[in-house]
Amino acid sequence: MATLRLSALRKTYPNGFTALHGADLEIADGELIVVVGPSGCGKSTLLRMLAGLESISDGELVIDDRRVNELEPAQRDVAMVFQNYALYPHMSVADNMGYALKNRRVPKAERRRKVEETARLIGLEDLLDRRPKQLSGGQRQRVAMGRAIVREPRVFLFDEPLSNLDAKLRVQMRLEIRRLQKRLGVTAVYVTHDQVEAMTLADRLVVMNGGRIEQVGTPMHLYERPASRFVAGFIGSPAMNVLDARLEGDSLTLPCGTRLASPVPSPGEAKTVCLGIRPEHLSVVPEGDAIDGDLSVRVELVEPLGADTLVHARLEGQDDPVVARVDGIRAVAEGDSLALRPDAGRLHLFDPETGQRLDPLEPECQHSTFPA
Amino acid sequence: MRYRRPGLDIASHALLILALIAFCLPVWLAITAATHDQASLYTGTAPLWFGSEGLDNFRAVLTEPVGRLGTDVTRLLLNSTVMALGIALGKIAIAILAAYAIVFFRFPLRRLCFWLIFITLMLPVEVRIMPTYRVAADLGLLNSYVGLILPLIASATATFLFRQFYLTVPPELLEAARVDGAGPWRFLRDILLPLSTTNIAALFVIMFLYGWNQYLWPLLITTESDHMTIVVSLKRLLSSADNLVPWQTVMATALLAMLPPVAVIVLMQRYFVKGLVDAEK
Repeated sequence: MATLRLSALRKTYPNGFTALHGADLEIADGELIVVVGPSGCGKSTLLRMLAGLESISDGELVIDDRRVNELEPAQRDVAMVFQNYALYPHMSVADNMGYALKNRRVPKAERRRKVEETARLIGLEDLLDRRPKQLSGGQRQRVAMGRAIVREPRVFLFDEPLSNLDAKLRVQMRLEIRRLQKRLGVTAVYVTHDQVEAMTLADRLVVMNGGRIEQVGTPMHLYERPASRFVAGFIGSPAMNVLDARLEGDSLTLPCGTRLASPVPSPGEAKTVCLGIRPEHLSVVPEGDAIDGDLSVRVELVEPLGADTLVHARLEGQDDPVVARVDGIRAVAEGDSLALRPDAGRLHLFDPETGQRLDPLEPECQHSTFPA
Repeated sequence: MRYRRPGLDIASHALLILALIAFCLPVWLAITAATHDQASLYTGTAPLWFGSEGLDNFRAVLTEPVGRLGTDVTRLLLNSTVMALGIALGKIAIAILAAYAIVFFRFPLRRLCFWLIFITLMLPVEVRIMPTYRVAADLGLLNSYVGLILPLIASATATFLFRQFYLTVPPELLEAARVDGAGPWRFLRDILLPLSTTNIAALFVIMFLYGWNQYLWPLLITTESDHMTIVVSLKRLLSSADNLVPWQTVMATALLAMLPPVAVIVLMQRYFVKGLVDAEK
C-alpha cells in the first residue's frame, strides 16, 4: 500500500553508459503500472533501481513520502518476482515463502500461519513440503508470487515473471496476477516486453525506449493517441502502418496520388509527414464502390487468423506493405487488386524527424498523473 | 557406446582381476603379517594366512608404548586426527570465506587479492619450509597442535574451487535474498553453505587425506613423541638400525593408520553422492 514518486531518476554505469536518462513518474496507491519496451530500453534497470538492487546515480525515489535512494532492498519493503523465479533450491516451498519473515524475526507459529494462508490464496497448500525442483514451471511461478505476497510488502515488483511459461499458462497466470493484485490492493510495477501482457494487465502503461520514457497513460489512451511513432509501432498488433505523405493545408497527399483529409490542418507551407493507420482501421471496399481517398492496393499475402484475416498489400510509392485486418469470412486472394478505406477519424500524423505526434496531446496524458 | 563381444569381456575381466590382485595383495599381506609373532615372520617366506597372535598385536600397539616411539598408537592416531581435522576444516572455512569475499563483494584490489591467492599455489610447503619453520619456532609453536596445523591451514586450491562454484550461483539468488532481508552473513549461512555441501564434502575428503599424509612438516616441527603423527612414526618404526624390524608391529600400526582415511572416505561418499543426486537439474 504505497505511492511512489520517481523524479529525474538516472542511471549511469561506471563505464559511462547511461541506461536511464531521467525518469519521472508518479504511481498511485494500488495502481498496477506496466513498463514495456524493447530489450535494452532500460525497463529492467528501472525496476532494479526501484528494488534497490541497482544504485541510483541521480534523481530521487520516494516511497510514501520517504526518500529511499540509499536504503537497502529489504528496508524499502518491496517484494520482487524474478524472471527465473530465483527460488532457493535447497529450501522447501514453505521455507522459500517464509524466508523473508524469518529474517524479520517473525515468530515461528505466526510465520507458519501466514505461509499457509498465502498458500491457500494461490493454491499451493498441497505443495508446501516440496522442493522447487519437484515443481512445474507454473508452480514455481506461483511460489515466487507467494514469496512476494506473504511479506505483505508496500510494492510488488515483477521482472518479466511470465516469460518462462508456455503460452496457455501465461494467459492464465496473467489473469491471476491481475486478480491477486486488485484483491490485495498492493501497488505494483510490472516489467515486460510483451505488449499483449502489458495492455491486459496495466492500469497505466509506461512505454520506454532507449533509456527514456516515451509515454505514460492508460492502455487505451496509448492505443488511441500514441505520442510518438515508436509508441504507435509498439502498442497494437500487428503494428501500425506508417506511410509517407505530404501535408498541405488540410489535405494529405500520398505518393500514389491518393488525397485524404488531414486530421491536423497545417496552415504553413507543405511538409513531409508520416501517416499512421492501424491495420484494423482499414476496411476493404468492394471494387467499383471505391471513392476518392481509398487506397488501391495489390494483395501480396493473406494470413487467415480465424476471426480476422490479415491482408498484406502493396501500395504504390511505399516501401513496406500495408497491412489490413479484415473480417475473417471475406474472400481475399493473393494477387487481387482492391481498395482499402482508412477510417478518417483514426489517422495519426507524426513528424518524420522527431517521430513526435503532430497534433497536441490532451494535457492529462502528457504528464503522468493518474486520473482519479 | 558399449561393445558386446565375449572375447573382449573375458580379456577386460582378466585385466581387472589382475589389477585387483596387484592392489589388494600388499594389504592382504599386511593383514596376515599383523597376526603373526616376530619369529614366524623371519622364517624367510611371507605368510599368506593368519598367524597365532590374532588381534594381540593390535591390542599391544594401541595400549602399550611401542618400541622406540615411547608412546602408544592411540596417542599417535589422536595426534594425526587432530592435525588432519584441523587442516581440513581450517582450509575449508578459510577457503569459503576467501572465495565469498572475492566473488560477492566489490572492494579495491579485488583482482589483485585473487591473483595473490592464486599465485601461492606455486609455493607448496616444501618450497617455503625453512622460513616457515623459523616463524613457527620463533612463535614457540614447536611440538604443538597449532604448530602442526597453522602453516598448512590456507589453501589456494580450495579457494579457487569455491570461487568457481560461487560463480555458477545465479545472481538472482543473491538479489532475492537481499530483497528478502538477508545480509551477507545470512546469505552465506542460509543459502550459499547449504548449496555447497557437495563441494564441502568432496574437499573435506581430499583435505583430510592431505593432512593425514603430511610427512615433512610434522617431521620437522615435532620432536617429542607426544605430538608426533602416526605417518611419521611409522617411518621411525622401520629405522631400527641395531635390531630386527618388528614387522608384526609395523603392519598392525600401518593398518591402524589406514583406518581413519578409509572411514572418512566411506562416510563422506554418502554425502557427496547424495549431493550429486539432489543437485539442481
